[in-house]
Order: sequence, then structure tokens, then C-alpha cells
Amino acid sequence: MEGIVVQGLRKQFDPPRGPVAADDLSFDIREGEIFSLLGPNGAGKTTTISMLSCLLRPDVGDARVGGFSVTREPGKVKELIGVVPQDVALYEDLTGRENLLFWGRMYGLKGPRLTQRVDEVLELIGLVDRQKDRLGKYSGGMKRRVNIGAALLHNPRFLYLDEPTVGIDPQSRRSILDGVKDFKAAGVTVLYTTHYMEEAQELSDRIGILDKGKMIALGTKDELVHLVGEHTRIEVTLDREAQSLAAQWRDLPRVLDVSEPEDGRLWLLAEDANTLMPRLFEGARAAGARITEINLAEPNLETVFLHLTGRALRD
Amino acid sequence: MMRALTIAWKDFRHVYRDLAGLAMMFVAPLLMAAALGAAFGSGDNFSVTAVKTVVVDQDAGAGAGTPAAGATLTAALTDPGMTDLLAVTRLESSETARAAVDEGDAAVAVIIPPGLSAAVMGSASPGTGSAAAEVEIYKDPALNVGPSIVAAVVESATQSLNGARAAATAAARLAMSSSVTEPAVLDEVASEAAGVFARAARAEAPVILQERNPLIEGVDTEKRPNVASQVLVGMMLFFMLFGAATPARSILDEHRNGTLPRLFTTPTRRSVILGGKYISVFLVVLIQAVVLLVAGRFLLGADWGEPGPVAVLTLVSALVAASLGLVTVSFAKTPGQAGAVSSAVFVFLGLISGNFAGTASIGGAFAVVRRFSPVGWLMEGWSNVLFGGSWGNIALQSGAALAFTLVCFGIATFLFRRRYA
Repeated sequence: MEGIVVQGLRKQFDPPRGPVAADDLSFDIREGEIFSLLGPNGAGKTTTISMLSCLLRPDVGDARVGGFSVTREPGKVKELIGVVPQDVALYEDLTGRENLLFWGRMYGLKGPRLTQRVDEVLELIGLVDRQKDRLGKYSGGMKRRVNIGAALLHNPRFLYLDEPTVGIDPQSRRSILDGVKDFKAAGVTVLYTTHYMEEAQELSDRIGILDKGKMIALGTKDELVHLVGEHTRIEVTLDREAQSLAAQWRDLPRVLDVSEPEDGRLWLLAEDANTLMPRLFEGARAAGARITEINLAEPNLETVFLHLTGRALRD
Repeated sequence: MMRALTIAWKDFRHVYRDLAGLAMMFVAPLLMAAALGAAFGSGDNFSVTAVKTVVVDQDAGAGAGTPAAGATLTAALTDPGMTDLLAVTRLESSETARAAVDEGDAAVAVIIPPGLSAAVMGSASPGTGSAAAEVEIYKDPALNVGPSIVAAVVESATQSLNGARAAATAAARLAMSSSVTEPAVLDEVASEAAGVFARAARAEAPVILQERNPLIEGVDTEKRPNVASQVLVGMMLFFMLFGAATPARSILDEHRNGTLPRLFTTPTRRSVILGGKYISVFLVVLIQAVVLLVAGRFLLGADWGEPGPVAVLTLVSALVAASLGLVTVSFAKTPGQAGAVSSAVFVFLGLISGNFAGTASIGGAFAVVRRFSPVGWLMEGWSNVLFGGSWGNIALQSGAALAFTLVCFGIATFLFRRRYA
């Protein structure tokens, strides 16, 4: 069956001078996979998901979801998708159960089928005991779970999750990530946006890296890391002089990149870590500083992003 | 349709779970109507507390057999027909009377000078002259209505005295033309003429002033709605506008909270979503109107009029309020902005529509201006049924209000669809 096929999507806000939030995006998401859009804030992730949800109309291009066009057949597309917005979008004065009943009706469910699905989703999100409490009394994590549950009521073929773990506690985050894996196991195609590199690495079958509205890289994690080459990431913690040492180390041979220091911590992308490390210690000693911690790691998606854009993901 | 009703029911419950909003919708208009009803009396119409008036009559009369002008003025003020308006007490000295006003024991003092009769009769006798007498109305400067009533009564009595004087003068001149020259005889003729005029003035008047209820042509009724019901109509329509703005504002609230965009990602069509919102706004104000009308009937003793026209006006009022609530919100970008815009527009509409003047008859330019507002048309329609009107007396008003409603709904829908397209 057809998954999602995106062809030349473009969206500019407040044209002609406004920002281009999506710039000629073309990619596909295969049926049953978890596809992550990774990028910093403002990269265009939410705009892309909004166009695929038929919430925003693209200026140019089109996308097909399950074989239906988002521009010409939005009604058909909406029946196939469940959208979990970035912020909790529920009614605080309704109970958890009332919220699910309401959203179920909006997806066209009714009667015993609606009641059955609400019961199943409450079980799935672990809120059977609190279903009669008003949402205003729920914790942030519980609201997030209802937020996701509301998008599952109609058993969507495609589930879009827009940064669902922003601002929640580690336990709830873990619960959500495990839940996403379960959706995949159940055959749901997942489009997941995040600016957390670890989440994309853990969950995704494939990852698209977005920056300033453009898709700058796309592939599996290994394919993306391979873009950086056979390099090593050296993470260094200094007790002082991190700023001046970072500037010095950028000029060292075989150093490809050095991050901006933050609280004495920085990292280098190097071609030959074994040769380089003694010189790092020498430099620190000469500057009157001490390396208090040093780690060697394989390049990750953050390294890839830095390599491709010259900026860190969180910039 | 079921989805629209689901949205309407959700919004409806949201409104009725807000205690502050409920107080604004139901308690405020009832309280204002009850307070104004109590202030102006709960009887057939506006009544005013009798004005405390003191009278000092220092006039001794112009002579034996001549009616005392001071007594005529005093009699006018103490006429049994004036007891609803004036509570008159006689005092002996002008100082005491002024002191009573100064100390707030009386609102007005009428001080009749000693030479009033002499001044009237002296000027009536040809060939005699007399200085003008001054009737003093000493009043509390903070009051307007009471002293005006007293002044009007005194002026009316003074005109009667002037009439008597004119009659006396004419009689004396007629006698002189018949060669009567004896002053005593002339005085007697003048006095007799003045007495005849005074008696005729007190007798039943040949011209009767008949008050009729205003506005309604072809309605032969003496129905006078009580004050509370007249006030409640204005307050009800005014607060219905705010009642409509609350659920209408939920469109912007939901947009800000992200639930409206989320609704747009479901298979529910946008027209259905907006339709659900419109239904909730209409239901909220319709129930508000019905509750206020029933409460007005049982708590304030309001007799609204014929059930059929009242039901139609209630429906039209709800439609007008809903459309105005939606159109004011449709121009705003944020809930805060909507609150400010709505309040300003509603107060303006209330002012030009006469919501704060009850259903009292309004004329002149104001009667024209109010017809630029759908609420003004509604006020007119409600006034008509309150004063006993029927279908024919609300048809034009309802039609005009509905025309405004259609335009407002159209503008609101256009703006909402453009914004959320």
C-alpha cells in the first residue's frame, strides 16, 4: 500500500518577503515505518506536518497520503490520519473521558463503537482510573497521554506526532517513546518530528534532516552518519579557558570542527583522535587549564547536522 | 449535523460552567430591573415620591368680599389631585419655611407675599396702580424635578389669577363705558367679575386633556406595563449581547489553545465546525432570554403581552444577539481584543438603541437613530407588545432586525472562513 509521497512542497508565510517555511520538499514515507523529521526550532517541521494534515495549503506542490492528495482530497486524507499537535490541544473543563468522546465523534465514531474505542484508548494510555477527572486536574504527562490518545480513537493508518515530548518529565517521555514503537508494531505509519537527536536515533527507521525549510539529508541513521565520514567526536570538559582553547584548537591540523564551549564543555570532530589527543592536553596545560573529562564517540546525528550546516541542532 | 450539535453542546456546557459568566447573563439584568423597578415604584407606571413642600401664605386679601389670591395659590398646591406629587405643609413665617429647605426637611418653600391680592386687584381697577408682587419659590439647589413640579403648579395658579385680573379689568372698563364712575361700584364690579372667572375656572373644563399610550396605532388598550418589565427588556437585550459574545469568543479561544486547528485536522468539515459554534451561541442567548422572561414574570410581575408575538420576538432577539456577538468577535484577532471590541460596540448600541431608557416612548432624532441598530428595532418591537401590541405591531420591527441579523451573520461567516480557510 502507498505510504506518504511528498512532491515539491513549498510554503511561504507573508509573501513575498516572509520566511519560506518549506522549500521544495520532496520525500516519501513508507507504509509501516517510523519516519522522523529532525531539525532545530524554525526548521519547518510543524509547517510540513501541517501541510500533510491538510491544515495548511501548500503554495506549490502536493502530497499523497495513502493514495489521496492533501490539496484535492483533504476529506479522504483526514480520515486516514491522526494528528498529535505539539502543544496539548484538549478541553480543560471536560473530563479525560469526555475529551475522548468528543474527539471520537469528530472522527465520525458513534454509538457502541465510540464507547468501545474510548475504553480501549483509556486502557492504552493508562488513565482508566482518572477518566472522570477534569483535564485541568491532570499532570502535564497525563495531558500529553490524552493528547496522543485523542488521535488514536479512529485507528488511523498514519499517525503524525509533532514534538510530543517537549517539556515533559523523563518517565512520561519514555512512556511516549515506547508507545510510538508499539504503534509501529501495530502497523501504523508514524511521522515524528523532533529536535532531540536521541529520539530520532532511537525511534526512526529513516530520518529527514530539515534546516530553514530545506531537506538537507535523508536516510537511515547509519546512512546519515556515513555522510560525516570516518571521523571521531572528542568531547572535552575544561576547568577554565574553554573559549580561548576552542579558538586555538580550530586551527590544529586534522580538526574538522569545534563546537562553541558551554559550561566548560565542547567537542571536536577530528580525523585522527589518537594523534590529536596529546596536543589537546599540551594546549590546555600551556593555557593554564586542566582537562577534567574526555570522551571519544562515534559521530551522531548532531555531528551530521553540524557537518552539514555548520551549526548545532539546538542553535 | 450530529457533529455540529456535539460542538454546540460542548461550548454550551462550557458557558454554563462559568459562574461569573452566569451571573453576568442572568443576575445582572434582573438585579438592575428590580432595582430600578423599586426606585420608580412597582405600580402601573413611573411614579415619583411626593415633593415635600412648605407654603407660607401671608396674603390677607384685597378687601371684604374679594377672593384672596394667596388662598387661590395655596388651594392649587393642596388640591386633592396633587397629593401624589406634592406633600404640602403650611407654615407661619417665611424664615421658618426657608430654614426647612436649608435643613433638608422640605424640598421647596412657596412664600406668598402679604400684598399679592392687592397687587392683583389693584392693577385690575382702572386708574389705580400697584407694584408687582413676588411669589418666592425657595428650593433645594440639588433638586430639579420636585421644584419644577411646584413651580409649574404655582405658575398655573398665577395664570389663573392673571385671567381673573383680566376679567375684572374688562368688567370695570365695560362699566365705565356705561357711565359708571363711582370707584366703590367699579371695585365691586371688578371683584364680582374676578370671582365669576375663578368659579368658572374651578368648574369642569370644557377642554379635556386626554393622555394616551404611545406608539401603537390601532391598539385600543389601556395596558401600562410596570417599570421593572420596561427596564428588564432593555437590560435583557443588552446583556444578551454579552451572553452571545462569550461563546462566540470561544472560536478565538480555541484557536489560541490549539483545539480549533486540531478540529480542522479531523474529517469534520470547517462549515460544520463553524455551524456548531453558531448553534451554541444561539442556544446560549435563547435560554438566557427565556430564563429572564420567566424570571421577570414571576419575580417582577412583568406582563409581557401576547404569547405568540413574545415568542417570535424572543427568537429574533436571540438571533440578533448571536449575530452581533459573532460579528464583533470576527473582527478581532485575540480573545482579549474581542472582549474590548465587543464591549465598546455593545455599549454604543445600547446607548443609541435606548436599552438604558427602558421602553419609554422615544421621539425626535433619537427615534430615527435607534433604527440604525437592530437592537433599536427590537426595543421598539418589545415596547409594542409590552403596551398591548400584537402581530401587526412587531412585523416591521422583527423583519428589520432579521435583515440586520442576516448581514451580521454574513460578515462574520465571510471573515471566519477567510481567516480559517
